[in-house]
Amino acid sequence: MAVKKVLVYPDPLLKKVCAPITAIDEPARQLLVDLVDTMVDAGHSVGIAAPQIGTLLRAAVVDVSKSKLGKKQKNHGLLQMVNPEIIEKEGNQIVREGCMSVPDYTGNVTRAESVVVQFLDENHQRQVIHAEGFEAIAIQHELDHLDGFLFLDRVSSLKTDLFRRKH
Amino acid sequence: MQHFALTIIGRDRPGIVSQVTEILFKGGFNIADSSCSILGGQFSMILLISNPEITSPEQFSETFKPLEENNLSVYIRTLKSGGEIRPEMEGELCMISVYGADKPGIVYQVAKELGDRSISITDLNTKLIGDKQKPIYVMMLEAMLPEGVEIKDVESWMEKLKQQLQVDISVRSLATMEL
Repeated sequence: MAVKKVLVYPDPLLKKVCAPITAIDEPARQLLVDLVDTMVDAGHSVGIAAPQIGTLLRAAVVDVSKSKLGKKQKNHGLLQMVNPEIIEKEGNQIVREGCMSVPDYTGNVTRAESVVVQFLDENHQRQVIHAEGFEAIAIQHELDHLDGFLFLDRVSSLKTDLFRRKH
Repeated sequence: MQHFALTIIGRDRPGIVSQVTEILFKGGFNIADSSCSILGGQFSMILLISNPEITSPEQFSETFKPLEENNLSVYIRTLKSGGEIRPEMEGELCMISVYGADKPGIVYQVAKELGDRSISITDLNTKLIGDKQKPIYVMMLEAMLPEGVEIKDVESWMEKLKQQLQVDISVRSLATMEL
């Protein structure tokens, strides 16, 4: 078990674009193990991306099946994703997000309702999955980390949109 | 460090925030939490501020004179020690939307259901929309449900109010995803 320290903003690594992983070799497998261990250790977390533990490579893990809200919805359990890419997005949903790397702050973010994501799994198999609801949100949040985006870059409204719209 | 709550309100116009924050910056103040918004034609600012050199409001109340001269009302509240720290709140965040034809008591009746059960309201916005002939009242409320209180409980309390006030009310979980 290798639980890593979760980096907190303003750590500059959180704002970097991560490099693709060229081979699913031992270090890459170890990275996935570390990500899963760190996510599980964080208790409340449903996902974590490699830059959050200081590795600037395109890997992230997501598991909404253990969370109170996620487990009520259709999900794929533990997803270990190498070089993930969202190839389709559909719909919109607003969700209040928080992030281990940005403590004590939550904000309303607009995300796609469902996504199709392709990635290499821990066994070097190419996977293409369709995710929706909380799982789709978690995937979009974690993949943003790989490009140096935090949810703070995505906050869509401070208050209810209704109050801001001019008629 | 001593913290103060600063409340400023006045007719909205461009430049209020910059004028206020220039005074704070030049006076060596830190802004911790703040919330500023337009209410009707008024711009309102609520800020928690501190300055290591300052322990009493008399030491700096004069610096806001230029704001008063620009028709802004300024109020300073001295916080008790620790008053700047947000308490740890456990529970499920819940969003309640209430809307319908305007009538007296909408906010009070809804708030009373929560207050009587010691449920904290964490955010509240109300607005009067629609035309003058048919004003519609809209209220958006966020509350923190403590352990043992479920969304469906809140729904059942609101169901009664819906009949009583003849308004529409919906309740939903404002799930925060910790990622």
